[in-house]
Amino acid sequence: MQKLISNFKACFLLGILFSSGFCSAVIAASANSISVSLELLASPAPSNSSLSRLVRDEAGQVYLSWVNQDNELAQLVYSKLMDTGWSNPIVIGEGADWFINWADFPMLSVSNGNMAAHWLRISDDGAYDYDIEARFYDEKNRMWSEKRVIHTDGVSAEHGFVSMLPISEQGETNTLITWLDGRNTKAGEEYGEMTLRAGIFDSLGETLSEWEIDHRVCDCCQTSTAMTAKGPLVVYRDRSSDEIRDISMVRYSSGEWTKPRTIHDDKWQINGCPVNGPAVSAKDDQVAVAWFTAKEDTPKVQLALSSDSGDTFSEPIVIASPETNGRVDTAILKAGAIAVSWIDITEAHAKIMLSLFSSQGVLLHTSVVAKTSASRRSGFPIIESVGDSVFVTWTDVGETPQVKVARLEFELN
Amino acid sequence: MHLTLVINSVVADEVDWRIVNYWSEWCAPCRVEIPMFNALFNDLKASNVSIVGINFDEDPRDITLDIAEELGVEFPTLTIEEVEELALRAPDVMPTTYLLSPTNEVVAKLIGLQSREDILNQLAELGIAVQIN
Repeated sequence: MQKLISNFKACFLLGILFSSGFCSAVIAASANSISVSLELLASPAPSNSSLSRLVRDEAGQVYLSWVNQDNELAQLVYSKLMDTGWSNPIVIGEGADWFINWADFPMLSVSNGNMAAHWLRISDDGAYDYDIEARFYDEKNRMWSEKRVIHTDGVSAEHGFVSMLPISEQGETNTLITWLDGRNTKAGEEYGEMTLRAGIFDSLGETLSEWEIDHRVCDCCQTSTAMTAKGPLVVYRDRSSDEIRDISMVRYSSGEWTKPRTIHDDKWQINGCPVNGPAVSAKDDQVAVAWFTAKEDTPKVQLALSSDSGDTFSEPIVIASPETNGRVDTAILKAGAIAVSWIDITEAHAKIMLSLFSSQGVLLHTSVVAKTSASRRSGFPIIESVGDSVFVTWTDVGETPQVKVARLEFELN
Repeated sequence: MHLTLVINSVVADEVDWRIVNYWSEWCAPCRVEIPMFNALFNDLKASNVSIVGINFDEDPRDITLDIAEELGVEFPTLTIEEVEELALRAPDVMPTTYLLSPTNEVVAKLIGLQSREDILNQLAELGIAVQIN
C-alpha cells in the first residue's frame, strides 16, 4: 500500500468528496466489520479525455480505456495498471467521423492476451446512423486486425450500445459481442423496432455466429453481459407492445439462446428512452443485476440477485430512491460480496456512490466515491473488481473533461 | 389552420407560459415529435405560450445549433446558461417536455413522445383554453 501511495501520489479518503487533483490526507474507516480505503489513482488519461471503462483479465490485470478528443479527431486508447503505475497509453483506433456519445461509448475486452475493442463510426447515408467498428488483437500473432464493421446488414441505421465478453470455445478465446441493431428501424415508412443482436467473433475478428436475440427492445439503453456457470448472460431494457420498458435477460448455452425473461415486473410504461441500461456481474452461479427504473416518475436504483446463474432472481432491493439518476454498474468481489455504483443527485452536486452487499443482499457499506456532475458530460461511472478491491472510473467535468480512476479496498472481516 | 388562444390567466398578457422540450439527436421519438413542436411553435406565436428546446446532451453551443439545424428544430434552443437558470431536473426519459408557469414553476411534466393533442389538452387543463378556427 505504501508503495502505491508513493507510486501514484495518491490520496486516501473515505466519506470525503474529491473532485480533482490530489490530496495528502490518509483516512481509513470501518463499519460493520468492513474496513475500506478509498484511493484516487493518478490518471493516465490527459485533458479532453472521457468515456472511460475498466476491464480486467483472468490474471487480475486491470485495463483502462478511454477516448481522447482533439477538435474533430477522436482516439480510443488503453493503458494497463502495472506495479509501477499505468503503462504508456496505446491507441487502438482513431477517426474524425466517430459518433461520440456520453451514453454509448467504446468498450475493451481482454482475455488470455487477446483483446477486442469497438467504437461507433458515422455511416455515410444518415446523420443519426452509425456502425459498430471493431479491432481484434490476436496474442498468437501479436497484432491487431484491421478495423471492421461487426454487423453485416449493410443498413444505414443506428448500431451501438455494445457489450463484450470473452468466451472460450474448443480451446479458443473468442469474444461474444452484443449490440442494439437498428436495421429494422429503416424497414418501413415509420421508424421501426430496435433489435438486440449478438455474435461470436474469433481472435482475428471473423464472425463465427450471429443471432437476433430480441426483435423489439428499448432504443437507447446500454446492454451488459457476464459469464455465469451456465453460460453468458445478457441483460437489457426490453420494450413490450404496450411500452413497458423493464429489464430482461437471455442466456446462451450450447449454441442456443434462452427466450427473453423479465428480471422483475417494474411495469415502467413510457413511450420514450431512459438512456439508462442495466448492469450485470456474475461469478459462477452467483449473478447480480442492477438497474434504474422510474415508474410514476419515482426514480429507483434496484438490485436483484440470483444463485442459480439467472434461472431465478430475488425480489429487488431498492438501493437508492428518489434522488438518483441511475447510471449503474456492478461487480462481484472475490469473496462473493457485490458492489453496485450509481449516481446520487441529492444535493447541488451529484455524487458517485458505491454500496457493498453480501452475497445474500445485506447492505454492508456505502461509500461516496467522488463528487461529480449530474450532467450528461460526466457519463457513466464504470466499476471493476479485482480480489476485494473495486476500481472506479468516471469523467471529471471541469474546465476540460478528464478521466479519473479510484480504487476502494475492502477488508471483509 | 388558424389557432386562437383564450388565456384565462390574470398575468397571461404580461408573461409567458413556456413549453420546454428536451431533445437529443440520438432519440428517435424526439425526432418524431419535433415537427409537431415546430408547427405548434408557429401556431402559438401570437399567444403567451412559447416553446423552447433543450439539447439533453449539453453539447457546446455551436455543436448544439448544428444538431438543431440537422434535426430541423425551428423553435429556440436554450443556452446552457439559460438551462441552468431554469434549474430543472434533467429528465430520466427522452423525450420529456415540461410546462412552466410564468414564474418558471413546473406545472406539468410530460414524459415520452407527445402529440399535438397531448400538449393542447395539457394547456387546457392549466386553464389555457384553445380555440382552433
